[in-house]
Amino acid sequence: MILAPLASFLEEGIGVHLGTRTADLEPNGVRAVAARVEDSGRQLVVYVPAVFADRVLPDLQSNGQVAVLFGRPVDERSVQVKGTFVDVRDGHDGERAMVLAQWDAYMENLGAIGIPRAVYGQCPRWPVVAIRLKVTALFEQTPGPSAGAPLP
Amino acid sequence: MSVALESLATCFQGLIPAQLFTCSLDGVPNAAYLSHVDYVDSTHVALSFQFFNKSRRNIAENPHALVLVPDPDSGQIWRLRLRFVRSETTGPLFERMRLRIEAIASYCGLKGIFKLRAADVYEVRSVEAVEQDHGDGQYAGLLSRDDRRPVDPVFTMHALQNLALRLHDAESLEGLLDSILVALDESFGFKHSMILMPTEVDGELVTIATRGYPENGVGSESRHGEGLAGLVAEARKPIRISGLMRGILYALAMHHQSSDPANVIIGRKIPLPGLASPESQLGIPLLVRGELVGVLCLESEVPYRFHEEDKQSIEVLGNFVAIAIQNMQLHERSAAETTGEAASQSDEAGARVDAPLAGRHDVTYYQADECVLVDGEYLIRSLPARILWKLLTMHRDTGRTEFTNRELRLDKSLNLPEWKDNLESRLLLLRRRLEQKCPTIRITPSGRGRFVLELCRDVALSTRP
Repeated sequence: MILAPLASFLEEGIGVHLGTRTADLEPNGVRAVAARVEDSGRQLVVYVPAVFADRVLPDLQSNGQVAVLFGRPVDERSVQVKGTFVDVRDGHDGERAMVLAQWDAYMENLGAIGIPRAVYGQCPRWPVVAIRLKVTALFEQTPGPSAGAPLP
Repeated sequence: MSVALESLATCFQGLIPAQLFTCSLDGVPNAAYLSHVDYVDSTHVALSFQFFNKSRRNIAENPHALVLVPDPDSGQIWRLRLRFVRSETTGPLFERMRLRIEAIASYCGLKGIFKLRAADVYEVRSVEAVEQDHGDGQYAGLLSRDDRRPVDPVFTMHALQNLALRLHDAESLEGLLDSILVALDESFGFKHSMILMPTEVDGELVTIATRGYPENGVGSESRHGEGLAGLVAEARKPIRISGLMRGILYALAMHHQSSDPANVIIGRKIPLPGLASPESQLGIPLLVRGELVGVLCLESEVPYRFHEEDKQSIEVLGNFVAIAIQNMQLHERSAAETTGEAASQSDEAGARVDAPLAGRHDVTYYQADECVLVDGEYLIRSLPARILWKLLTMHRDTGRTEFTNRELRLDKSLNLPEWKDNLESRLLLLRRRLEQKCPTIRITPSGRGRFVLELCRDVALSTRP
């Protein structure tokens, strides 16, 4: 379960990447734009640009295994959320401002380490699909010997 | 493979985080950040293996991996499908990756904390452009290198010719070293540079010339294996670091997880010059027939300043500069050898002493540390300190002001190395430290192999154990 302090970190506007795998264990992965913690930390919604959806949805719908990587560039703090697929829907207009605000915060964060906003200017960010997953495990992912250790 | 791996050179500088996706044998996917993806050849890349983490365990079970790596110039993200081939723990690839990690760790004062266990080599099965938003709902990847920002060439033939002309015109070691740094600035655009040379102490370098640093930093020391210059001296290979800030953040993040204060290096007597926030660094060993003449270090605040395409030009530049420095050292020594006997009278022709200023300097020689302090402030140590002390005591005892390199070379009390004593570069270092820290004591060349000690203020000499 994702506790409130960790939920704040995951929703503050940082790097988000979603990983899946095929039936024959070939990994797949896409960049996401934003995330939101729901159901008191038991579920996570990951907003993935619609243009990338076909790269991971077949995996999610066939085996349901998912890993979501979160990373904050300015201090390399990283967390990985493991889960199982629940459902997918199109992002709606009411979510657009929140999704783009998280993306904007991520761009600010990259700017702080010298990566200009223009570098990611052509990255798709809307429309999105909202992929909901049930959280099954949390892991520390900050670089170092503790990377991979389970989080409470 | 639809896109040549060679055309993605800019992606392999570690400027923007890459992501690695793997999967365990029981079907659980894993995602992790990568510090660096290294180009090996047209069909292989290497990933650093530093910790036994989940990605590494997955790869041991299931060799398939996916990497998303962004191009820092265009923003294009590339999808590389990989298959693990082998781990290398020795050899040129391992050394190159190890040196990069150690240079960054050393820069942060965290040397020895991070170790490269292996360079994991992967076959690149496919390279694919991730879709970009081209407006009007159109998405496509950039499939041509022509769409990318062109690389701005640095090491042009014109710039190399300009450097050569400047070096040919130099008449002394001091003039030569300054010419090298000026040419690197004016012809190549490298505004922050320094040259370090070996001292008489094995495994030690000293900064002898700098450009573009307010603190100057002449006289600062570096041990082999320590910092960029020390690593270059140890490896005797160029080291190029791009995206240094990311590397530092990565290293500091690791440090927080494995903190051991005992591993943090203690500050030096004279800090090495350096930019507050360097993004790119380049260290070039200056070698002549295998002998290390010095190390040239360049820094830039531009994240991707030193390009892969420049590698061969950098090595040529290093060889050229090294030969020029060694030739000048031999030339100056030869000229000094033919200089006449030591001047023996006080106030000889050529001795120029300005009207004494009020007050006096307290100059103290610490015998055990072989270092000189002026008015309680550290000036210099080792051989240049012994030389200064010799000159000042001779001046006090005999009134002499003019000296020759030859007499210093013959003076057994100075304990110069018998072979390649580098006396001229030691005198240059001493002169520059005096200019910087105590300009009222001067050592001024007065002809080939001769120099004058000028004291514009009285000095009181004392020794300490």
